[in-house]
Amino acid sequence: MDYLFDPDNWRWLFSGNNLRFLLSGFWINIQIALIAMLLSLVLGLALALLRLSGRRAVSVVAGVWVDVWRNLPLIFIILYLFLVMPETWRDAYARSVPEWFPTAFQSPFFLAAVAGLTLYNSAVLAEIMRAGIVSLERGQGEAAASIGLRYWQSMRLVVLPQGLRRMVPATVSQLITLNKDTTLVSIIGIQEVMRHARIVSATSGSPFVGTGVDAPLLQVLLTVGVLFVMVNLALSRLSRRLEVRERRRTGVEVEKIEGLEDQVALAAAAASPTPPR
Amino acid sequence: MSDLWEVLVRHFPEFRSGFWVTVQLVAVSFAIAMVVGSVVGALRIAPVRWIRLIGGFYVEFFRNIPLLVLLSIAYLGLRRAGIPIGPWVAGTASLGLYTAAYVAETIRSGVFAVGKGQIEAGLSLGLSYRRVLSQIVIPQAVRSVIPPLGSLVIAMIKNSAIIGAVFALADDLLKEARLVNSATFQTNEVFFWAAVGYLLLTVTATFAVRSLERRLVVRR
Repeated sequence: MDYLFDPDNWRWLFSGNNLRFLLSGFWINIQIALIAMLLSLVLGLALALLRLSGRRAVSVVAGVWVDVWRNLPLIFIILYLFLVMPETWRDAYARSVPEWFPTAFQSPFFLAAVAGLTLYNSAVLAEIMRAGIVSLERGQGEAAASIGLRYWQSMRLVVLPQGLRRMVPATVSQLITLNKDTTLVSIIGIQEVMRHARIVSATSGSPFVGTGVDAPLLQVLLTVGVLFVMVNLALSRLSRRLEVRERRRTGVEVEKIEGLEDQVALAAAAASPTPPR
Repeated sequence: MSDLWEVLVRHFPEFRSGFWVTVQLVAVSFAIAMVVGSVVGALRIAPVRWIRLIGGFYVEFFRNIPLLVLLSIAYLGLRRAGIPIGPWVAGTASLGLYTAAYVAETIRSGVFAVGKGQIEAGLSLGLSYRRVLSQIVIPQAVRSVIPPLGSLVIAMIKNSAIIGAVFALADDLLKEARLVNSATFQTNEVFFWAAVGYLLLTVTATFAVRSLERRLVVRR
């Protein structure tokens, strides 16, 4: 405890560029998370719709795809893509990245990192969205059809807005997990906050490359952890506020889902009836 | 295709030992998560405000911090601070304490799901607080807690792969797969069988939870 709170062990935070360097690494994580989120939400919705497709072959293939990718460890997927991504792809990517992009984005393995995050999270989000759509009363879709809306019209105007809104808490909880999971790309050598933390700790104590102020690894890593906790707490507060506003506006009791990481959808799907055909 | 079988046959011992290490990692971490999670869950529903705050602090900290950061703190940070902590302890403790935050939340919402009215009804019938807890609250809470706890086990199986992937903390399935891969360079075949191993675990857990849930369901 004495070691942990000893002010001498925290002086590194305000010396030289240490804090700024750490924050720049954290910003890389946020950027990776934003890119992966955007891709996963789009791909996840597409997968959810394919899974609910009336054509049996389509829904079975989409179902197997989703179930395989969401049941594998994310780090497993990232490492696999890292190992098998063809050199030509890596080169093509590294050549086409604009120079002004951050160094982390220049890495030839950046593509594998983002692809892994997207592959896994789109499958999990697809399951969450599917559960949301399926939990909607059948009557909604039938009513839309009976007033003459086509399939896509009823999806766009009636089913999706209601079904997806129900799953906002579960989706946000998954996005928080995604944000945490961006640290895993450090394992394939992307220069993000975990790497920056090691660099700060290794160099700060040196009078030549650092400022001569020792930066104990424990304190540096704790700082990184606190950064994540702050951002993720803000995200979950935001989602709770949205939920309360939504409930006040519609007067409908939205099913509250405590942050149960990515597997919320599983329990929800098990409890919900079979999808309407 | 023949390559696929050949890899499995030749390296079956590695895959098998990695598989069991993953199972052990999850089992030990789950035990830690249940014990710590129950305590923190109890703190979260305590009648005293500052005790609830402590529980809330634990949950929010361990739920929002990346597991990789926890692992690094446990294995690298503490070691640098002069506390030598073994790789196995660092791995299971990190995964256990991380999941404990989710277990605590699950238990809390399970108890809340029972409803105040039932507790009041039990007390007004003259049952003691202990009997209300043991005969009314806990039997119902257990039922509503099973499916989310099962989901947590599945999440743990997947998260356990991080333990073997960094700092070589344990020779689990992913670690063994990488070792076999660096010996054979048959990446597709090796990772295919490792994937089968992980899917075997996660899918089995899914079905186990579902059947347990069906057995515990109350027909009204």
